[in-house]
Amino acid sequence: MIIDVYTFPGFLKEISQDEERIAFRREQYFLLKQHVWPLSLFVTQMNAAGIDKSIISAEDVTTKAGDTIVSNEEVKLLVDLEPDRLIGFASVDPNREDAIEVLEDAFSNLKLSGLKLSPAMQRFYPMDEKAQQLYEVCIKYNKPIIFEAGMTWIKDSPTKYSNPLLFEDVAIKYPDLRFSLGHFGWPWVREVAMLLLKYPNVYADTALLYFDSPKQFFNTEFNNTLGEFWIDRMLYNKVMFGSTYPRIEQKRMVGAVNSLTLRDEQRRMVMGENALRFLGMEE
Amino acid sequence: MVKHYEFFVMTNDEYDTAYIGDIVKEYVKESGVKNGIVSVITAHTSCGILVTEPLDCILSDLKDLLTEFIPEDAEYSHAHFLHTYGRTSANSYGHLRSIFTGNHTLVSLVDGSLAMGAAQEIVFMEFDGPQQRKVYVDIIGE
Repeated sequence: MIIDVYTFPGFLKEISQDEERIAFRREQYFLLKQHVWPLSLFVTQMNAAGIDKSIISAEDVTTKAGDTIVSNEEVKLLVDLEPDRLIGFASVDPNREDAIEVLEDAFSNLKLSGLKLSPAMQRFYPMDEKAQQLYEVCIKYNKPIIFEAGMTWIKDSPTKYSNPLLFEDVAIKYPDLRFSLGHFGWPWVREVAMLLLKYPNVYADTALLYFDSPKQFFNTEFNNTLGEFWIDRMLYNKVMFGSTYPRIEQKRMVGAVNSLTLRDEQRRMVMGENALRFLGMEE
Repeated sequence: MVKHYEFFVMTNDEYDTAYIGDIVKEYVKESGVKNGIVSVITAHTSCGILVTEPLDCILSDLKDLLTEFIPEDAEYSHAHFLHTYGRTSANSYGHLRSIFTGNHTLVSLVDGSLAMGAAQEIVFMEFDGPQQRKVYVDIIGE
């Protein structure tokens, strides 16, 4: 079972019928030349990469830009079209006055599987009181959170909000909240390794690509910045496969993880089993 | 007279091939043009169009040649973030294979039929799939 925990569905044809909305997405998500293509092609691309399931996430920037980039309802629509291949995560702008109601609706009515938050893009600090109210909703529904941590390519999104060390207080105050630090918190990968080592409820994903080809960049970050055997020997149950699709092709990120030093059992955990536990879907 | 048509090829794997001669023939029939030239051009830069004999062994040999000649894991310069796209390029080998095969073919049109040898077929070559690829067919003649 291979699960990609970090994908963006905003240019799938089934939710991209309106040219103005497509242009808004290109600008807000900083994917300036992204083509629209059908969900069936995404499934074919997953098949070619050997990926069984992908987490697709909404993105809510209502208070900053006046709209969602992808709404919770659009994520729900896509999941309903491919329920065996897609796992839907909600997004809520913590600065919305109705944030708690929107999240309650996403979990109770839309049946989405978790929450995606981007502190830099949505402009909040991880221990902001408004964000903490959302964490409590997630605990109530036993839903995990994927934070976009470290650097985001998205414009007008200061990294001061998403330094991984800011999430340590969240891990301490909410030990029952499972959350993942997206992009392995790059460039603070050593700090993220510390958080993974210390806090049972903290996960991270491999959706990091900032220089070079995926294999070269993974060699730099996972074999040099971190120790070559750190994931294999210690962090194997805390790291999940993620790609940042469509910012890069999933097949290339699978190839990059396959180039890392991992024993078979540890590789299975990184590629999918950890995600199942994170999602609360472990049998 | 010039008639312009477009169609999509949906590819299924990173390296893939598709015979597209029959699609082109349908457009020729539809156009009503009897004599001239037909161009078949892909709109992309990491796939190709060529003419060869439609045999699996030839396509297999071509794949082996391209893979050896233009490997995936060489130290390509085109492996970095593109600010004009908002995404990372890591598909230089796809571009280079496309340059190697070319992005188009031309076929003569005589008495309403493509003037092709019995062993010739138009082949779409995918080098960075799976993708939805656009192909232009222009029929120029009278």
